Amino acid sequence: MTRTRRVAAEASAAWRTFLRRRTAVFFTFGFPLILVGIFGVVVQANPTSSGLFSHPTSFYVPGYLAVIVLFTPLTRIGSSIARHREGNRFQKLSTTPASRGEWLAAHTLVNIGIILLASAVVLGVLELLAGGAIRLSLSLLPFIILAVVVFCGLGAILGRITDSQDGVVAASNAVALPLVFLSETFVMPERLPAWFRPAINLSPLTYFARGVRKATYLDQPVWPDLLVLTMFAVLVFAAGASAVPQE
Amino acid sequence: MATAIRAEGISKCYEDTVAFDDVSIEVDSGEVFSLVGPNGAGKTTLVRALTGTTAPDSGTISVFGKSPTNVESGRIGLLPQSFTPPERLTARELLGYYRGLYDDPRDVDDVLADVGMHSADETWYTNLSGGQQRRVCVAIALINDPELLFLDEPTTGIDPAGRQSLWSLIDNLAAAGTTVFLTTHYMEEAQALADRVALLDAGTLVEVGPPTALIESYGGGTHLLVETELSPEQLTGLDVAVEPTDDGVRIPDVATADIGRIVQQLDAQGVTYDTLTWTEPSLEDVYLRLTDTVNRNGTPKEPLATGGRSE
Repeated sequence: MTRTRRVAAEASAAWRTFLRRRTAVFFTFGFPLILVGIFGVVVQANPTSSGLFSHPTSFYVPGYLAVIVLFTPLTRIGSSIARHREGNRFQKLSTTPASRGEWLAAHTLVNIGIILLASAVVLGVLELLAGGAIRLSLSLLPFIILAVVVFCGLGAILGRITDSQDGVVAASNAVALPLVFLSETFVMPERLPAWFRPAINLSPLTYFARGVRKATYLDQPVWPDLLVLTMFAVLVFAAGASAVPQE
Repeated sequence: MATAIRAEGISKCYEDTVAFDDVSIEVDSGEVFSLVGPNGAGKTTLVRALTGTTAPDSGTISVFGKSPTNVESGRIGLLPQSFTPPERLTARELLGYYRGLYDDPRDVDDVLADVGMHSADETWYTNLSGGQQRRVCVAIALINDPELLFLDEPTTGIDPAGRQSLWSLIDNLAAAGTTVFLTTHYMEEAQALADRVALLDAGTLVEVGPPTALIESYGGGTHLLVETELSPEQLTGLDVAVEPTDDGVRIPDVATADIGRIVQQLDAQGVTYDTLTWTEPSLEDVYLRLTDTVNRNGTPKEPLATGGRSE
């Protein structure tokens, strides 16, 4: 019970802090919409062509959502760690009953809330663009939540190994950009070199993309991908929690 | 009296840099103990070791009879050096946040009242003055009603008024029985607040003792500084010893009762001077003298008493 109280206190402070950073709020929700604007309107999905965007809009829902669940937690958690470290907040926290796992859990909860909201906005816009053709499924929820857990854990690791907010942003981009294009989001494996394809299976984002596509486009069972993503979430969160600095 | 902190022969190095070396200190419950030294002397690393956020390479530490990492966190309060809490929360929200991390915390209103922040409790931290910010930080350190409070350079970077108000706050805490472990590089702060001070220089503990005892032993006597263009050899009409300084002469061991007589002798000789300054020795004099001794000889002077403790 006290653990729950500590996580709630940390999450409440983090949520308030987020809401009071107007530029953070604007870009958190604006970035995915810009992405949808670029890919969905400027490029325009053209099912009749054989180019990169040769599928209907619904097919790319995993890609749009992947961008949200990937970039935002990575940079937000990494930056939070950098800010906490610069303000010696971890040194203070280490003398309270709060553990590093609780800190990460609280900030992950805040990110889950933010990402669910951002995902709802993006899905709403995509529904408008696709004329209601996107199949919305409740199974999107666990995929989004688990992916956020994975990338919050990874963000904590990046926050640990980089020494500043600038470093976190650079490291996040270096990790996220390859992942987003090599995880069956926008680019399918057949367009990648054969020798590279096995590496796709090492990315947690691949299972997110496969599962979401099955739920929203292919209408196939999603549990195998959900299972793998759950395993990734447990492992990466544990690694992330132990990476949260003590001082 | 019970011992709050006992550190015996602790050392800590970071690669080739010695943070502190063979440091032994003992702090009684209810005492205000100040660790004094310039930036880089090893004060913050020592606080980290005492609070369990870093482990010493050698030696032992006990806080309330336990290893620092095993002490109930509710018994310890810490204000880290250069601590900055989330800046877009109000003082009240910040205390509410840290309150939520403890099992048996104090009431937010009581702590706000203790640090005199009731009137600005709804202002974002970032919009508070430097002195108010430090008061909020101290309040955060007090929210769990600690028996032992670590304040790591709490007044660095704040204006004199803010410093004075924080001194009064620390005085009140000490009067209420809280053990305070204070680090500072302001000698006058340690002299004003501490029951005992430990002088740290380049990671080495130079001396420990009550400020008055240290000043008595190492500070030298009172003296009169005469800012004049004349040299000691030209002041033949004085019946006291005279030493040269950069700006004139220094007359050591001058009691207040002697000042009038010396001034009369100077006037009788027709000595012109810009200023006359009578000075009592301070902890700064002690520190400079002792660290100079350490730097020249490589070993500190003998302590005042066993373990540097006041009796």
